[in-house]
Amino acid sequence: MYELKAVHKRYGLAKVALRKIDLTVRDREFLVIYGPAGAGKSTILNILAGITRPTSGDVRRDGVSILRVPPERRDAAMAFENYALYSHLSVGENLAFPLRARGLGAAEIASRVARISGILGIGHLLDRRPGLLSGGQRQRVALGRAIIRPADIYLLDEPVGHLDAKLRHKIRAELKALADDLSATVVFTTTSSREALALGDRVAVLNEGRIEQAGTPEELYHRPANAFVASFVGDPPMSFLSVAPRREGDRIAFATPGGMPVAALPARAVESLRDEPGSRIQIGFRSNEVRLAGPDDPGTLRGRVDVVENLGYVKIALVGIGEDQVSVSFPASRHLSVGETVAIAFPRDAVHLFQNARAIAHAAPYA
Amino acid sequence: MASIRAENLVKRYGAFRAVHGIDFDIADGEFVAILGPSGCGKSSTMRMIAGLESITEGAIYFDGKRANETRARDRNVAMSFESYALYPTITIYENIAFPLRSAAVEAREIDRRVRDVAEKMELTALLDLKPHGLSSGQAQRVGLARALVRKPSVFLLDEPISHLDTRQRYRMRRFIKSLHQEFHYTMIYVTHDQEEALALADRVMVMSDGEIQQMATPDEVYARPRNAFVAGFVGEPPINFVDCRVRRDAAGWAVEFEGHRLLLPERLHRAAERVGDEGLAAIRPHFLSIGENGPMVIEGRVFVTEELQDQNLIFVDIGGTRFTIVAHPSVKPRRGDIVPVAIDPDHLLLFPRSEAKKFEDLAA
Repeated sequence: MYELKAVHKRYGLAKVALRKIDLTVRDREFLVIYGPAGAGKSTILNILAGITRPTSGDVRRDGVSILRVPPERRDAAMAFENYALYSHLSVGENLAFPLRARGLGAAEIASRVARISGILGIGHLLDRRPGLLSGGQRQRVALGRAIIRPADIYLLDEPVGHLDAKLRHKIRAELKALADDLSATVVFTTTSSREALALGDRVAVLNEGRIEQAGTPEELYHRPANAFVASFVGDPPMSFLSVAPRREGDRIAFATPGGMPVAALPARAVESLRDEPGSRIQIGFRSNEVRLAGPDDPGTLRGRVDVVENLGYVKIALVGIGEDQVSVSFPASRHLSVGETVAIAFPRDAVHLFQNARAIAHAAPYA
Repeated sequence: MASIRAENLVKRYGAFRAVHGIDFDIADGEFVAILGPSGCGKSSTMRMIAGLESITEGAIYFDGKRANETRARDRNVAMSFESYALYPTITIYENIAFPLRSAAVEAREIDRRVRDVAEKMELTALLDLKPHGLSSGQAQRVGLARALVRKPSVFLLDEPISHLDTRQRYRMRRFIKSLHQEFHYTMIYVTHDQEEALALADRVMVMSDGEIQQMATPDEVYARPRNAFVAGFVGEPPINFVDCRVRRDAAGWAVEFEGHRLLLPERLHRAAERVGDEGLAAIRPHFLSIGENGPMVIEGRVFVTEELQDQNLIFVDIGGTRFTIVAHPSVKPRRGDIVPVAIDPDHLLLFPRSEAKKFEDLAA
């Protein structure tokens, strides 16, 4: 188990990369660090590897500080976003390098190189030099060199970020299976929601050097702690509608600025609603949890279609309601025009409420 | 605004042919995405449209007038590139204002337009900074803002929103789309990301190997791909391919794979005739399911289940072929489980096996 305790990292005087974060990497877990560019994801990996020293705070392995343990004694296998391959060695030699360094026999090395290069689809490139490869090919070699050897922890920094969609899809599944088979401890960074949810046993959402929430994909998706996590986890992102809450007996009803009622929840479901007169809260929902309604359906919300996106298997309408814009999925066989007025039916069991950007209620469909 | 036509457009760099004599028409105000993997010729095509690259053979017409000899700056084309070359010594504000200052736009108008585009692109807080220290996503947005601040007849966008996180990507994509809807610019958007191409464009031009594989609406390239390359490149998660034999007997046309046999719907009879004996069957992950319901059910072994929360992706090995299946979040078979896979033959596609080679080259 690795722990970051109140780890703070400042570069120079002005740039703060990490703001006193606490993070645990459990044994044999696949931990994804998910956040926008510049959030501090790579800094966490570099600190775990021992390449970067925290400005303050502690890094522990099984409870013992490893701040003074140099990188070469940490047994971390790393794959960087910017490759760093040995340019004078062939792809096969690059892959074999970590194994030779550990004194493995030639037959064992050959068999592992064959297995890993097969998984990553680079078996036909073993004799080439890295300089002749495309970016995506080089990235796969770098990933292969990291995962080919046993290690106490694997630190993979956006290792599939430069691959095309099909390869990413394929390699993602292979990585997950491999990590399972090896019971490996993996920390993996990404800017893709899909990748984070697909791979992580747990996901830590990082934003501006802070951990917004760490939990299982299910927790992050169905019980986001705040509006940032809600809007960041899930593809397409969650939509928000500004509403005014009003207590009606044992229920709390929500209406849009125009007075249109959109939903009501039992008061006990909304534990921490602060009664601030005239205050607005955000009602959040996912595009696949609402649907287009017929003109006569009761309790619907009306809006104007601003944008229609075709994703092949489904379409998404961006619907303007007052000052907000919400996403609604609908079958690809249906046609909607920009400017058209549509009705949206709310599933009352699939909404999230946020007050001052903090989550105050969740009603999840599969919980 | 402008319409664009290309006739037998060829680009050669020495002995290397990047673009192999392509023809296309882009209507005034149309949004066309050029989609393909790296090296497919999409950027060369765009650079010939922009006038940044000489045309080896063939011709380009703007509004029906031959433009081969028209200089780049006289084409009134605005561009944003993947390699967002920002001027390092001036502020973000001045970087965005640059094309307007060169065009001698009045100062107050410049200020209004720069601030307007900066707000839409969430760059307002960065306006006084210099490009040094921007994240690649931020630099990319500045590059895009600089292209958008002009009011050109044609917009060329070369991978303008790669390297962004999921949320930013949606935001930028919708911004670009609303921009097109509002002003009806003729837009050409070069990308390797099929989802962007489908989501944004009126028509998608799928390229590989210097040739246009198909140019059609997003619905058509998704549901009726002209060849295996288009079928494999368009769609997320990617389509499933399996080698098959095409047979005809008393019962009608059928395909056989991994020891199973599937009768083909009438829709595919002509394709079956054309394909010959060696076929490549394809079916999208959304049209496979785990369960016994279907005209054809085959057993497979689960490789991995990915729980994406809104749906699960289940990777199942049937014989030597790995299939992806999109399933409801409640369906969570475990690694190694033997599961029944139901195939909906109505959504099967059939291609000649010879096209599989093209598909494999892409994966390499």
